[in-house]
Amino acid sequence: MASSNIISRAWNQFFFTGFSGESLGLLRMYIGCGLLIFTTYQFGTVLTLNPLGAVYYFIEPVWYFKLLGIQYHVPALSFGMYAILMGAILSMILGKNTRTSILVIMLCIFYLKGVRDSFAGDVHHREIIPMQMLFLFLLSKCGKANSRDARQLSNTERVQEWEASWPIKTMQLYVTLFYFWSVIAKVRTSGWVWFAGEGKIQEVLIQRSVRWGVTDQGEFIKNGLSFELAQHPDLIQFFAILVLAFELGFPLILLIKSVKLRLAFIMGVTIFHISCYILMDVNFLLIPFVYLIFFDLIPVHQWLKTRAWPLFRRRPSLAG
Amino acid sequence: MWAAIIFRIDHFPLTWVPMYSVFEPRETISVKVWDKDKDRKGFIVTYRDGSTGYVTSKDLNISKPHFRRLYYDLIPDSQTVETASSNQEQGNIETGAINRWLRELDQAEHRFAADRDWRMFWVFNKTLRREPSDPKFIIRIEADHQNRVYRKEELLRQDVRNVQVDTRRALIEWRDEWLPRWERGIL
Repeated sequence: MASSNIISRAWNQFFFTGFSGESLGLLRMYIGCGLLIFTTYQFGTVLTLNPLGAVYYFIEPVWYFKLLGIQYHVPALSFGMYAILMGAILSMILGKNTRTSILVIMLCIFYLKGVRDSFAGDVHHREIIPMQMLFLFLLSKCGKANSRDARQLSNTERVQEWEASWPIKTMQLYVTLFYFWSVIAKVRTSGWVWFAGEGKIQEVLIQRSVRWGVTDQGEFIKNGLSFELAQHPDLIQFFAILVLAFELGFPLILLIKSVKLRLAFIMGVTIFHISCYILMDVNFLLIPFVYLIFFDLIPVHQWLKTRAWPLFRRRPSLAG
Repeated sequence: MWAAIIFRIDHFPLTWVPMYSVFEPRETISVKVWDKDKDRKGFIVTYRDGSTGYVTSKDLNISKPHFRRLYYDLIPDSQTVETASSNQEQGNIETGAINRWLRELDQAEHRFAADRDWRMFWVFNKTLRREPSDPKFIIRIEADHQNRVYRKEELLRQDVRNVQVDTRRALIEWRDEWLPRWERGIL
């Protein structure tokens, strides 16, 4: 009985405390700003096509396109969907018809991802984390703070701490487990050899350096640094152990109270993603924008409002 | 989540890891040679009237990375699979009884929709608005590319001179037995 009380108290403490309505509203705004860049980067290839060009018939429609009977790509429609997506994200940032905006964003992402992944049958799952977050925003009361929608609310309708905390804490838990399961999968599918100096990391480093070819002098056209690193299995082994440690230990961030420590950890993970992109062409470069969920953004927003924003506003008068 | 471990599920929507989690030690490393000229020219095609031409990413109105993927996927990945592309081989692996029942396939019926060759002809001709009776209907598609095969131990000695160049070709031809499926498409 006592242990169930402890578990219940810890559960409530974790999921239902720690954030205010304002924090949730700000998170919605900043994640929205990240989504503007993230989605443009993800679906940019669709925007390079001729809007009035040929209607391409998909070779491998994604499962929900098959289900809906969508067999071909109407280029102009993708441009339209992208415009709607941008409009809906802006509306989400402003908090105008927030729930509807989030729903529209999700539908647009589903469509554009479906198009992108049906062209040649190569499916990418980079949208998984942002989509799960959007789903939690959709269920939450994120539109009732720092938003246009909130202007019509009375004081009694303000978001309570528990209402603001559970969506953010669930997002945190999801992201941490994402990394945790990935290390479990590495061990389960490949064993400890994945982390060896002559393991997966070395193989990818070599592959990504030789694939662009070599000059007559035997130098690599691109990614020479990756090849250099591949020559040092001991160093690779060290990095592999770091990967193991940070992925396995990612859930521990949920227990870290110090903002500075959390920031240091998150910066480490961000550097990891940037390095993977530069050295191995593993393209999760923009994913770190979701790590905003690990921080209360009120002080950041205050700082931007009081310090950074006036700098931008002063410029025209200086020029004048 | 624990169920995912027990049932060995680690795909969407849980993680993206299968791509990077699998590692099997090998002695050689094989990489595709990116040939810009081939990317630009595209697939060599033969029409029903006997003339030949090229199909490019612009003709299909798809991006270059997608076109490249389409191009290289036509070519067998492995020396052991000389007549069929890897996707086709994978798509035609015999399906289980429940799977066949769900797809409403008769006992001996071929899982037609998984046939990559058929898909290629359907996609090209449909996109270019060619019907089977059209003289410019595409009846043959060709692609080729080179792989560079390095020995890992030589690479680790910084020796990149000893490379085996492995040329692979794919040639697929239209079959009239596909005609009944023409209007139904690939769904």
